[in-house]
Amino acid sequence: MREQIAFFVSIFPALWEGLIVSLKLSAGALILGFTIGLPMALARTYGKGIVKKIAIAYIETIRGTPMVVQLFIIYFGLPDLGILIDRIPAAIIALGINSSAYQAEYFRGAIQSIDSGQMMAAEALGMTKKQAVRHIILPQALRIVLPPWSNEVIYMVKYTSVAFLIAVPELMARGKMIISWTFKPLEVLFWVGVIYVIVLSIIAKIVDLVELKISIPGFQMSREDHY
Amino acid sequence: MVEPILRIENLYKNFGDVEVLKGVSLTVEEGEVVVIIGPSGTGKSTLLRCINYLTVPDSGDIYFEGRKIEYKQDNLSIVRQKIGMVFQEFNLFNHLTALQNVAIGPSKVKKINKTKALELAEKELLRVGLQDKADHYPAELSGGQKQRVAIARALAMDPKILLFDEPTSALDPELTGEVLMVMKDLALDGMTMMVVSHEMGFAREVSDKIIFLEGGVVSEMGSPEKIFNNPDKERTLEFVSKITRLGPIDSSRGGSDI
Repeated sequence: MREQIAFFVSIFPALWEGLIVSLKLSAGALILGFTIGLPMALARTYGKGIVKKIAIAYIETIRGTPMVVQLFIIYFGLPDLGILIDRIPAAIIALGINSSAYQAEYFRGAIQSIDSGQMMAAEALGMTKKQAVRHIILPQALRIVLPPWSNEVIYMVKYTSVAFLIAVPELMARGKMIISWTFKPLEVLFWVGVIYVIVLSIIAKIVDLVELKISIPGFQMSREDHY
Repeated sequence: MVEPILRIENLYKNFGDVEVLKGVSLTVEEGEVVVIIGPSGTGKSTLLRCINYLTVPDSGDIYFEGRKIEYKQDNLSIVRQKIGMVFQEFNLFNHLTALQNVAIGPSKVKKINKTKALELAEKELLRVGLQDKADHYPAELSGGQKQRVAIARALAMDPKILLFDEPTSALDPELTGEVLMVMKDLALDGMTMMVVSHEMGFAREVSDKIIFLEGGVVSEMGSPEKIFNNPDKERTLEFVSKITRLGPIDSSRGGSDI
């Protein structure tokens, strides 16, 4: 056991660096996913004609293709078109675009779960549709969406491990590297797993606190941990 | 003659194959309280929603303050600000406190400064007797309280006319009284009101005119005295006595009889 701990201490600095990269990728991808996903959800819910069709096509295309394919298109495919993107930005873009489609669907579900009377009452007051969405629908939808959305956060931290396929030095890639020095795959992967579990537990706890902070009487929110 | 505040001419509305309104015409004078009664599915709610174009009529004209509302050209926001609406299901904004519910119209639609909007909201809550519930969220209010907040929310926009779509139908019987009381006070203050309701006590005591809507048209209209005691049509009498029998008039709720 002492030996195991000593081993962990010896590999920890390298894993820590990997973890930081993983968290940066996750944060970047989640923000990008939110920035694209929310407008897509609005376009799919309230858009008409071509706007709605584009949103549907985007969401279904992204959801219908594996993330690795998207990652490889951006990192290995785009250079053929003269677009060169570094590893880390490429990973963030691929993960972010992938996430945006799922986030869009979470948001759409939440928006559609808001009773139609809310929009009617807002319009009856003289609000334009835009004002109603901004002041009435979204503040409610974003509260409702938080529990399912927090799953996306947790998936995202784990999904960043695919970035090791394009040699981004994230947690998983660091683990792989350490294995090749030490020839101890089981031990290394065990500690990599432990780090994921600890980090994700902390994130789940933070999400719970945020939920509690923005909770409003009458909005059902789960108080359960999300794993 | 003074121009009526609201004039509806030959309003038609279909939902798919179902003809709901088949040529409704009526007028509402300033300060008048008009109660609309009629069997369910006869288009009472649709009629109200057509007035502020929450539902767009297929044909027919609506004149508000003497001016025809043009769906395509008019800024509906401005028209709707002057036409308050109270819904059967309250439709309070669930993420806002009672006070914020009342303040949001003036602040976001009329762009009144936020402090002033909150002051105004406090005044309107006082008017419906709920100043002590200002910080409560809708989920923490009873049905009757929710509806009173909804009335305050409509009042905060300083409307020229208030439309009530079955304001007490979703309430437990013991809660209808407080809402009707607030409505009665508004009527006494001279507010122009159009009320879809089967609260016959309220209709009898407070209204100036009762409209019996059936089959998508105005079947009969007249003073409460006439509609209750001496209607032109047999069918009106039959309907009025039926709903009066079904919902016994509790004079403490709608006020005493005339």
